[in-house]
Amino acid sequence: MGKIKRKGQTGQAKNYLTRTAAVKKLQISLPDFRKLCIWKGIYPREPRNKKKVSKSATASTTFYYTKDIQYLLHEPLLNKFREQKVLEKKISRALGRGDLSDAARFERDAARPDKTGKPRYTLNHVIRERYPTFVDALRDLDDCLSMLFLFANLPSTSAVPAKMIARCERLCMEFQHYLIVSHGLRKSFLSIKGIYYQASIQGEDILWLVPYKFNQRIVGDIDFRIMGTFVEFYMTLLGFVNYRLYTGIGLKYPPKFDQTKDDMAAELGAFAIEGVNMATDPNAPKAIASGETAPTKAHGVDPKVQAAVDKIVRQLKQDDSDKAADEATAAETEVDDEDKIDDSIDKFEPVAPGGDILPQPSSGSSDPAELFSNFTFYLSRETPRQPLEFILRAFGCKRIGWDNVLGEGSFTTDESDPSITHQIVDRPVVQAVVDPEDDGEDNQTSQKLTANQRYPGRTYVQPQWVWDSVNDGELKSPELYAPGASLPPHLSPFVQTKQGQYDPTLPLDAQETEKEALDAEIGDKGEGQSGDEDEDEEEEEEEEEEGSDNDMDVGSANDDSEEEEVDDAEGGSGDEEEDSDGEEASAALQRQAELEAEISGKPVKSKQVDAKLKSKLSARKELEKKAKEEAEDLERAKGMLSKKKRKLFEQMQYTNNKKSAEDLKLRSKRRKHEKEQQAKSKA
Amino acid sequence: MAPRTVDRKRKAPAAAAPEPQSDDEFQDGVFEGALSQSESDDEDFEIVVSDDDDESESDGEGSDENDDEDDGFLSEDIPSDDEAISKGMQDVEITEPGVDPKVEEKEEENLGYKTEKDANGGVRYVYEEIDPVYDSDDSDAQGPENTIGDIPLSFYDSYPHIGYDINGKKIMRPAAGDALQNLLDSIEVPRGWTGLTDINTGNPLNLTDEELELVRRVQMGLVPGDLHDPYPDTVEYFTGIEEKMPLSSAPEPKRRFLPSKNEAKQIMKLVRAIREGRILPYKPPEERQREEEEQEEVHFDLWQNEEAQEPNPMHIPAPKLPPPGYDLSYNPPQEYLPTKEEREEWEKTDPEEREKEYVPQKYDALRKVPAWDDLVKSRFERCMDLYLAPRVRKNRLNIDPNSLLPKLPSPSELKPFPTVTQTIFRGHVGRVRSVAIDPSGTTVASGGDDGTVRVWELLTGRQIWSVKLSSDEAVNAVRWRPTKDAFILAAAAGEDVFLMIPSHASVTPALDQASRDILAAGFGYATNGQQHGEPGKEPAAKWARPGARLEDEGVLIRITVRSQVKVINWHRRGDHFATVSPSGQRSSVAIHTLSKHMTQIPFRKLSGLAQTAAFHPLRPLFFVATQRTIRCYDLQKLELVKVCQPGAKWISSFDIHPGGDNLIVGSYDKRLLWHDLDLSTRPYKTMRFHSEAIRTVRFHRGGLPLFADASDDGTVQIFHGKVPSDQLENPTIVPVKMLKGHKVVNKLGVLDLDWHPREPWCVSAGADGTIRLWM
Repeated sequence: MGKIKRKGQTGQAKNYLTRTAAVKKLQISLPDFRKLCIWKGIYPREPRNKKKVSKSATASTTFYYTKDIQYLLHEPLLNKFREQKVLEKKISRALGRGDLSDAARFERDAARPDKTGKPRYTLNHVIRERYPTFVDALRDLDDCLSMLFLFANLPSTSAVPAKMIARCERLCMEFQHYLIVSHGLRKSFLSIKGIYYQASIQGEDILWLVPYKFNQRIVGDIDFRIMGTFVEFYMTLLGFVNYRLYTGIGLKYPPKFDQTKDDMAAELGAFAIEGVNMATDPNAPKAIASGETAPTKAHGVDPKVQAAVDKIVRQLKQDDSDKAADEATAAETEVDDEDKIDDSIDKFEPVAPGGDILPQPSSGSSDPAELFSNFTFYLSRETPRQPLEFILRAFGCKRIGWDNVLGEGSFTTDESDPSITHQIVDRPVVQAVVDPEDDGEDNQTSQKLTANQRYPGRTYVQPQWVWDSVNDGELKSPELYAPGASLPPHLSPFVQTKQGQYDPTLPLDAQETEKEALDAEIGDKGEGQSGDEDEDEEEEEEEEEEGSDNDMDVGSANDDSEEEEVDDAEGGSGDEEEDSDGEEASAALQRQAELEAEISGKPVKSKQVDAKLKSKLSARKELEKKAKEEAEDLERAKGMLSKKKRKLFEQMQYTNNKKSAEDLKLRSKRRKHEKEQQAKSKA
Repeated sequence: MAPRTVDRKRKAPAAAAPEPQSDDEFQDGVFEGALSQSESDDEDFEIVVSDDDDESESDGEGSDENDDEDDGFLSEDIPSDDEAISKGMQDVEITEPGVDPKVEEKEEENLGYKTEKDANGGVRYVYEEIDPVYDSDDSDAQGPENTIGDIPLSFYDSYPHIGYDINGKKIMRPAAGDALQNLLDSIEVPRGWTGLTDINTGNPLNLTDEELELVRRVQMGLVPGDLHDPYPDTVEYFTGIEEKMPLSSAPEPKRRFLPSKNEAKQIMKLVRAIREGRILPYKPPEERQREEEEQEEVHFDLWQNEEAQEPNPMHIPAPKLPPPGYDLSYNPPQEYLPTKEEREEWEKTDPEEREKEYVPQKYDALRKVPAWDDLVKSRFERCMDLYLAPRVRKNRLNIDPNSLLPKLPSPSELKPFPTVTQTIFRGHVGRVRSVAIDPSGTTVASGGDDGTVRVWELLTGRQIWSVKLSSDEAVNAVRWRPTKDAFILAAAAGEDVFLMIPSHASVTPALDQASRDILAAGFGYATNGQQHGEPGKEPAAKWARPGARLEDEGVLIRITVRSQVKVINWHRRGDHFATVSPSGQRSSVAIHTLSKHMTQIPFRKLSGLAQTAAFHPLRPLFFVATQRTIRCYDLQKLELVKVCQPGAKWISSFDIHPGGDNLIVGSYDKRLLWHDLDLSTRPYKTMRFHSEAIRTVRFHRGGLPLFADASDDGTVQIFHGKVPSDQLENPTIVPVKMLKGHKVVNKLGVLDLDWHPREPWCVSAGADGTIRLWM
């Protein structure tokens, strides 16, 4: 006779532990257990059969793997927790005795992360355990960066000590510096939540969110102790990651941090990046040092002198580049016998047909290091300096100037600096009152120009230009982003469009289904006949608006012409689209004719319209019939499926239908919007 | 009682004296401090200790005991007291006169000594008493001391003295103070006042602080002496004797001469702690704190010797947050903005139930973008998810749902199949039991409850021939001989099977003759050849001519078997046919040979009731269906080849696919089953599309992938059933049509059906007395 098997002794019941049981087994308090779980990355599991697993009658909610808990049992941190507990007990006992001096002594010995921002223990071993390789750590960096960037922007409270915030800020800055130096930043996106950045480090895509620089509102029931535990872990992690990244590209870590500069809001400029062996390559840190090369006394520089100097510098540079070019050509001639080190991937062209074509990563036309490398930017007061500075530097810009109020560390604070090629402006175009007496009053900023004045030879753009350029990998035409212009939509670069999904970048005609198009056209006509007067009124209003727009733009003739160009360009593209749709060209023409007739005020030939409408209606009917038949077929086919498969099929259908319904809604909205736009442009 | 009387006796004279008053006062507990302030300065004392006094004084716990003791003490001592008193009295009286003269003599002579006569009459020098000066260290001379011994002072109450000193001199009673003094004393109690009288001097006994303390301690039951230690440490002294021999003869152990290992351990512990920096030299706390703050976190390459580890298969990494979409942009395309209704709906829903945690917003400039309110919250929720959410790996089927659907043939491929009623054949009275289309496809034969067999023109529905086989038995089955070279119909009515040649216009004389020849051939054989079976045994069937009336009609042969025939099935060549009579026990299945007019009963014994039987369309196999199973026999080897178990409770009919590898089975329990004979003994597909029992199932034999079943619910269902030529592929079965038209009579609907040999047409025989042609 075998051993009697009891319930809860073998199988699943043995593999899982409830949280209470786990806490009991580890002999620690629940908060300590929570900490341990967070740091060691242990999470509850969902047993296949909860009833089999739980030993009690009441339904337990969280189960852990017994093996996981067993693994926690050997954690050195556990001892630290116990020591801390003992110490606390000692203190409370001393207080109970009334032995204040003793209690104070214990208290002094106690680790107080809340005060010092540093606990007595380190999490190094935990990080090494959780991330056996560096790539593993990079893979998990998303949450880490989002969290630390958030904490770097939080106000200090009792729950979030100032030291912690400062450390988060430093770590984040250091990471940003790495991205600047390594040009690892790939994409960025301005969302309503904050700014998303995507970097590619060692082949890992890391996406994180940085909040806008405002005071964060803390709503709801938020336990900062839990957040603090995470941040503690993430700080350690990012520290080590930074070290590895810095040393990987031959930089010293930690970089030199200038407290005085930081106090003057230099932000990224407060760090001085140094190479590991300064003696051997003295120019390395120079090239990297963020704002160092800029002449700090640019304040009072005479523009003329500056211009002269710049000219000379430019000439020198040109000479250099010429020389370099010459050398390059020379080198190219001898390239055969010289070992030219080129670490870029070679392009493999198939020699003979028939072989499979292997996909190769293309380096792309634009190197992220060179996108902005030839430009000098100037940030206006109203622009967000930190993200702009970071993104511009990460994409190769060396010289960024900004107004004094934005903090220390700029290339120049003089707006009139002639070397500036681009100025980022985010203010509305205001009709400037020409008032020559009123200048020089503004002591706060060094700009001598009135709000609306422009320096010739400089490109004025809105901040979105930077982001769109970065995401597309090419410089966008600045006219679209001119100050005061209504911006083109800012699209997320992270969306990977699937077949059949709605894509706002494509024209509507290419995406909509036949039925939708027909519906829309029929709807058009119906509306057109009934609601002519309404449309007219709307058009009038729109006209007025446009007129006012024009008035506003009068101040800058430059701008106006730009806008016109834009309009032309848009019109052109629209025409092309129409031409391209060969099949629907005739339909479009008809529509055009109808619209023209409408606009010209002539009574539309109702007969013709009726006939057309009829044909359309019949077409629609046909389509509907077809759809119905298809649905019937589908039903029949479904009848042949087994019950299980049918359910699965229906579930899949449900999600697909939901998605397509969303797309449908988007398309209809867009159609409506386009129609409005068209009506406006016609008017 | 004696002592008391004595007391009274003694007290009686004293009462006369002035002192006894004070005695009374004593009894009241009034103090007599004045006693000590007596008029005389001589150091006589009187202690008045009376029983009453004791009582009044004692207020502690042991007062009663004291009383008792005193009483006992008194009671015992009283007789001796009496004697002593009497002696004492005598002594006093004797010695008093004697002493006084001596003193006088001394005074007179005033020499250093006196000479006296001793008892013997000799001279005795009596020296003067040495008066020690104050500083004398003679401690004994403490002044006069009462020498009366252990007798109560009350004995002297009646005397002016209270006793005698060492020299026998009377100690005079100190004078009692006046009343005023007493009063004053009672008001202002002097320090150490006890209210007692010193027994030696008669003065009031005042106790010092130390003495009071002592009294207190006694009362408390403590050790009286303050300095007295009841449990002193024992002081051990060495004996002082030097032991010559050791106590133990064991030699001194080695460890006494070696350095302690334990100590070394302890020390090493400390050393290690110091080396590791766990023990640090003391520093003032402020300095230490400063240092701690200054000390930066140490960074090193944590992944210096990294080794890629296989991830634990149980580990599920946390899913990354989805990247932001277009609608999260600060300046999204116009179409992503919600309409007013959508926004309102979003605001109305509970934050927990919202599909998205945000509403798309459009700002026309970056400077107008505010901070997002829920950022901290969403981060917190992410944290909670990371550590508290159970992770489950869910396999998302990333396939096109349409790939799940079976590959159905296109509708054009399914066609043709019968859809509508083309012709209704009316004429039968009562149910039409059986129906069959002739091999040429021009006529249809039917047999019904009215005992007639009728032949109709297929397309027109015109009845062209009919014969009444029996007046009381229904015609249960009609089947055409399946070859085109003859025109022979077999029909079963009761126990008889008739073979007939329905002659009508389209039957050419040649065909008619050929048919007659086939039927007639057997007669010759029967007559010529020897009859099978032993003469004693009844033959399985009787072949005979049906009689002149029927012969005129065209019915040429009657075969009579033992029980009622329900089913007739021809062999494909037309020489054999099988009949099944379910009630026929062991002779239920019979195989008839037309050319020999011979009937065989192939099965001696059948497990279960035979329902129907059929020949394999291609091979020499014979299928017999019992209630539950279908058995397949090899006719050449005469052995069982296969047993199919459709799983139906009662098989009604089955049919074999013209290809020979598939089988459809209809059952009375509403099921239609498709068997792949090569695949399994179990059905490949089970179809339950009927609400009533299935009567007949039939494959199309003319090359169209169709089959149909007829059911008691009045419908005929047409299926597309394609058997692929590829062995590996499964047959496709598609229900295509439900033909409704027959009425249900007495719970019977369609009883039989047959397919046209070439066209996608079928005829069905209904219980309502009609036959329908569907095309």
